Amino acid sequence: MDFEGKTAVVTGGARGIGRGIALELAQRGSNVVIADMDGDAARDVVAEIKAGGTQSYFCETDVTQQWSTDDMVETALEEFGQLDVLVNNAGVGGAEGFKTRKTPSVDDWQSTFDVNVFGIVNGTQSVESYMVDRGYGKIVNIASIAGRGGRPGFATYGASKAAAINVSQAWAYKLAPHGVNVNTVCPGLIWTPLWESIGEWRSSTDQQSSGLTPRQIFQRTVAESVPLGREQTVEDVGKAVAFLASDRARSITGQALNVDGGIRQN
Amino acid sequence: MVTGGATGIGRAIALKLADKGASVMIADINEEAAEKTAAEVRDISGNSATFVTDVTNVAACEGLAQATIENLGSADFLVNNAGVAGSAGWQSRSHSTEEDWKQTYQVNVIGMSNVTSVFKPQMTKRRSGRIVNLASIAGREGRPSLAHYSASKAAVISLTQSTALELARFNITVNAICPGLLWTPMWEQVGDRYAHDNPAFKGMNPREVFDSMIAERIPMQKEQTPEDIADTVAFFVSDDAKNITGQALNVDGGFFMR
Repeated sequence: MDFEGKTAVVTGGARGIGRGIALELAQRGSNVVIADMDGDAARDVVAEIKAGGTQSYFCETDVTQQWSTDDMVETALEEFGQLDVLVNNAGVGGAEGFKTRKTPSVDDWQSTFDVNVFGIVNGTQSVESYMVDRGYGKIVNIASIAGRGGRPGFATYGASKAAAINVSQAWAYKLAPHGVNVNTVCPGLIWTPLWESIGEWRSSTDQQSSGLTPRQIFQRTVAESVPLGREQTVEDVGKAVAFLASDRARSITGQALNVDGGIRQN
Repeated sequence: MVTGGATGIGRAIALKLADKGASVMIADINEEAAEKTAAEVRDISGNSATFVTDVTNVAACEGLAQATIENLGSADFLVNNAGVAGSAGWQSRSHSTEEDWKQTYQVNVIGMSNVTSVFKPQMTKRRSGRIVNLASIAGREGRPSLAHYSASKAAVISLTQSTALELARFNITVNAICPGLLWTPMWEQVGDRYAHDNPAFKGMNPREVFDSMIAERIPMQKEQTPEDIADTVAFFVSDDAKNITGQALNVDGGFFMR
């Protein structure tokens, strides 16, 4: 198994895509620290991982604060003695109440950048000196196909995810001579709590979508835009992360891989 | 089924897929080398066959598709790896000739399309399949030298995207890999050419040219290997990548970041 005896930290690991990544890495032998703000949901994932036979630990983390990601890395090292993989997954669609606003507020811009961009920067800054000293490390950042090109509407989210791809490249360059790989996964259409919020946002702001449930809006979007004709899953993203975080991808760095059924080519 | 599977990157791909349990059809113009690799595959996974194939010849490609079915069953995975860097003598010329353009397009692009066309029916019928095309980082950006090669590999990326969209409804994924700098017989010749073409490399032997390219252009400061490419092929053909299609992934130590 790729991750036998290894330790991974997954930010936003309590729900949605983060949970899928955490479970996939655990299945492949990894001990996993679930770094999240939501302790109840995180503890469920911890229990699920332990039931599968590897170790897991919850660390309450706010990725927008450097002191908090510092604490997250220290906790992982204290609990498991080593840290091999950091998955910067925590993300938001906007500030509180974004799904009811037709036009993003200043807070929406601030919030998406605080979590989706500075969250990656903070997590990476907290772990880089350890990984460089060790001469080994894998960092996988979760962006979105929304970061591959601007679209009307959700500009805050898309711009923050484009920035996420860009900062991944910056750190890929910086850390490459030290045996640390930094890559990005761009998920496509996945039915998660975040997409449910996006569906609610569309249903309340877009005339063509009014009267439809978030799930109906999601399914229509899948039918219209996914060449493979099906939604992607959190497991798909977990598997792509597992590949990029493994030594099988030892010569891959600075890349962003779309896991999107062919929506956007790269 | 791996084209150009007898040597170099193609051989590493054949052995890796065998290691994962696959039977492998080795298509190559070099019969002797193909047989040797097939024997290695048999030692690993038990089953292999060879077919002497010039991918520019449609009849030969049809024969290959038929031989694959007869010997190993219909193909689950197609790896289009066969490629050339120019027509005979390209390494000693400082400019691309018309023959260089024709030969790279004939093999790298039209040959890939030929092979894909003859294997399509096997995959569409079963509504499943995986195709992996070998492009190159040279296809990501124009270069002052070897324009014909770079352009043909850019065409490979484009062909990959078109094929991905065409075959998506049949549950067939099509992706490309862009290898970075690998010390292969082809790169040895590239190094030879750069030493003649580029004042920065004057007086160097091919390996010195290669090493200085690694030092200057590869952030990871390491050459890539055929095994690196084979591991990525194995990922794209696995169930783990079932929802990835139309992508080109650079395996290049960070040379180009996309």
